[in-house]
Amino acid sequence: MDSDGLLITTRAQCYVSNFELLGVDFLTVRTAAAVIDTTAQTINCTVFYGTDLKNLYPQFSLVTDCKLDPKIVGKTDFSDLAHPKVWTVISGNRKVKKAYTVYITVQPKP
Amino acid sequence: MQLKYYNIILLVFFVLSFSACKKSDDTNLVLKNDCIKRTLGPNVVGLNIEFAYAMALPKSAGKIVSAQVEASIAGAPTTYLESRSFYTNASGVDVGIAVGSASVNTDNKTVVTFTKDTCAATLRYFYTVPEAARGKSVTFTFSATASNGETVSYTMGPYTCTKMDMKLDQVAVDNKACYFSIADMAFYDAATATANASKIDLVYLYRPITGINFNYALVSPANTDYLPGVTLPSGLTNSTKMVKTWNLNDFNLARLQYGVYIDDADFTAVDFTNAPNYALNLKAQAGTWVETADGKYRAYIYVNSVTAATSSMTVSIKRYQMK
Repeated sequence: MDSDGLLITTRAQCYVSNFELLGVDFLTVRTAAAVIDTTAQTINCTVFYGTDLKNLYPQFSLVTDCKLDPKIVGKTDFSDLAHPKVWTVISGNRKVKKAYTVYITVQPKP
Repeated sequence: MQLKYYNIILLVFFVLSFSACKKSDDTNLVLKNDCIKRTLGPNVVGLNIEFAYAMALPKSAGKIVSAQVEASIAGAPTTYLESRSFYTNASGVDVGIAVGSASVNTDNKTVVTFTKDTCAATLRYFYTVPEAARGKSVTFTFSATASNGETVSYTMGPYTCTKMDMKLDQVAVDNKACYFSIADMAFYDAATATANASKIDLVYLYRPITGINFNYALVSPANTDYLPGVTLPSGLTNSTKMVKTWNLNDFNLARLQYGVYIDDADFTAVDFTNAPNYALNLKAQAGTWVETADGKYRAYIYVNSVTAATSSMTVSIKRYQMK
């Protein structure tokens, strides 16, 4: 068991398989599926014009047995686009750590 | 010999026991009553609280002559006690049978005098929450009188009446009645908005812009970034905080099948920290919590319907005064 009470396994895989971004109404704010680059460890997500970037709920899907650091405990402020948020994925065996940077782009007004 | 006496004693015991049971049956010859509250959710001023009051006595004991409800706070004039007794037919439909004259309200009492020879009835009571009951508790005493002089009563409550206000089906039209005042819970045109500039909290607009999801929006006058093509009347500067919701179908506002109610406590629980002052791409069954710039009011604006052909949106509002 690790410090979070989670079982430490033998799995070394360590990546994000899906990324979702929800508004305060719990509806998606993505204009399309987020682009996840597991090599560059980046997530690029374009959100609707007018999205309130200060109050968003990110959701990560991770490969089996991984965990995320820091934990997501509520709304996240993405409004500082010059300083994108970074989350670290930790493998099931807790030996591999990969930092993913989440880049948000707001859909421009036509 | 002893066994013979034993059997006789046992027989006497059984005779006495059965006699006792018969006597117990006689005690049921009294007027009885029961009551249930039929409405759920908050007790909002202007809405009805509905009860079903049942009363009965054995046919041989007499008939019911009157039924009465006494409220601790007199109801609004539309308060009444049904003079029909309902039963549910084979098709599941409630059918009313007239048993008395129309109810009469006197102060805080509502009375139905029976005109039919009946020994059992269930009357419905509709208490319209008056302004005087706002934020207070109200108790009801139901009572019935039989022709044999018996009287029974049943107390219901106390029930707390809400502090909030409610207004239904306010129609906003783009570039016409598009200036919304939470204090008045109404949409105004530009001329009226100019005269009431300090009370205008939101601007409604409909913009079907290709490539983005703008459509039906409520935007604070202070946020001109999201007011394309809108020339604000002079003096409109309020910045209203907003938290969008989806599928929060309050029963009183939506009048749909959902048993969800927004109550007074919900307004104080909403977190407006870092909330934006606009809500774009609103749809039917969406809504938004709002807080006025001065913090005096919080409200929930529910979108009942949107119509692209008329650039309009129909909303219903529950509003709570914070200070």
